[in-house]
Amino acid sequence: MSPNLLLADESTGSRLRRNLLAIAGTLLLVTTYTVLVITQPTDLTGGLGQGVALATFAAYLLSALLLLAAVLQDLPVSTLTLIPVALALNILLGQFVGSVMVPLYLDSMGTVLVGFLAGRRAGAATGVLGTLIWSLFAPTVLPFAAGAALIGFLAGTAARFGAVRRVYLAPIAGLVSGVLVGAISAPVAAFVFGGTSGVGTGAVVTVFRSMGDSLLSAVTKQALLSDPGDKAIVFLIAALLVYALPNRMSQSYEFVRRYRVLGRRGGERD
Amino acid sequence: MSSCVATGYLDGGAENEIKGMNWFQRLHPFTVLAVAAAVVTTTTAAGLWWLSCTVNAGALVVAWSVGKSKKLIGLSSAIVLPTFASQLMIHGLASNGSFGLTQAGLQTAAELGLRTAVLVVVGLLCSLVIDRHQLVAAIDLSKAPAQLGYLVAATLFLLPQLAERQRVINEAQMLRQVKFRRGLRGWFQKVRLQAVPLVLSSLEETANRAPHLAARGFPATQRMTRLREVPDSNGQRWIRHVSVLCVLLLPALLLVPSWMDFA
Repeated sequence: MSPNLLLADESTGSRLRRNLLAIAGTLLLVTTYTVLVITQPTDLTGGLGQGVALATFAAYLLSALLLLAAVLQDLPVSTLTLIPVALALNILLGQFVGSVMVPLYLDSMGTVLVGFLAGRRAGAATGVLGTLIWSLFAPTVLPFAAGAALIGFLAGTAARFGAVRRVYLAPIAGLVSGVLVGAISAPVAAFVFGGTSGVGTGAVVTVFRSMGDSLLSAVTKQALLSDPGDKAIVFLIAALLVYALPNRMSQSYEFVRRYRVLGRRGGERD
Repeated sequence: MSSCVATGYLDGGAENEIKGMNWFQRLHPFTVLAVAAAVVTTTTAAGLWWLSCTVNAGALVVAWSVGKSKKLIGLSSAIVLPTFASQLMIHGLASNGSFGLTQAGLQTAAELGLRTAVLVVVGLLCSLVIDRHQLVAAIDLSKAPAQLGYLVAATLFLLPQLAERQRVINEAQMLRQVKFRRGLRGWFQKVRLQAVPLVLSSLEETANRAPHLAARGFPATQRMTRLREVPDSNGQRWIRHVSVLCVLLLPALLLVPSWMDFA
């Protein structure tokens, strides 16, 4: 019999290795973030500044890659086919928003959609992979891979605990996720790029800086102004898209059935 | 053609395809990426404006040699110019609780802008000179999980297909004489009428694709034969190893003296 017709051989060793990779990735991310927030290096362009920029870039990217390595081999085929579509939707819907001049990003729509339908591990993997592929067109997004993974992870967690069962819960979950993602991504913007890459967001940071805030504090405040609103809308639209799916399709995802993600909207009722 | 290739046999079609490639596309994609990583990390660690300018100019020369200079300038400008503008506002205009132009602020903004420009220009040069088919084949032939190659390939090739589908959906809505309102309501109307059909049709397709892929033994548990060749050689392998060493060691060597001063 072909080995592909057999169930995957899941040994305790490989599961342990994946858990260790996930723990290492999370620890690296949290440690880097904590060290940067506590020390807040003021030198941006001197020897120390160059070192901090490189170390932050490397630590955030490495933690994202470790998290990807931890989850990638666990994903079922139905999720693997969903991820490329989600990545393409991230890019296309991001451009769509740009073309209609609405001041939102919506570039994480696909990631949130995967989190809602396939769970937090799939969401995190979509976030990292999306950033890696998007970096082929915009290399500056590369160190934000960990933040993108967090969006997918939080979307999956929110769906697991019932945030998609009621339409008003989705934007609340998005708001909370936006605060966490904004806070985690701020050190990258501050210490790797010395601020933000957009003129509009740069103007907001300038206002906070002129009021006497440190660079990290100003960038964090700017992120806390933009990200929660954006994520609230993304979570709401992703939830509405999931409601619009035919029952047959949404219930084909094991995560949706197992955690009754859609509640009474889904086919399986208690 | 290099002395050593990564897999099986080379048929006439593949040989012709490789002959039609430019010099950079004949390199192993990982060689290009490793050298680019070494250049970016070393230039960032050095923090010298003339080195950053030289690297950017060198990247433009390389792009010009493969006929991609206009594209590189256009794509880079779209990222670098807003970044420069943002740096000028943040560091050039505002600092230490005051608002006004300072020379130190302008210098910081210029140095940060140049640092970002190196990452952007070299990164975009890589994506312009690396052939996407070669990249996917190289990932497949590497020790990376089989899922990674599929995901990169599927995303890169789905993107133009979905963009085309979005165009067709827009045309269909125009034929239905849908009139979009202005403001936020109009925007939500656009999301509903354009994004919903795109998302639903794409998800329907993935639901159909999954069982077919599973039936064909995806993800493979053993090494599979690939007809596409990825040119490689001992020399390129050596360059990759040296580049990885440079990524790890050169920044440390360049930065340790300034850290000592700081301590």
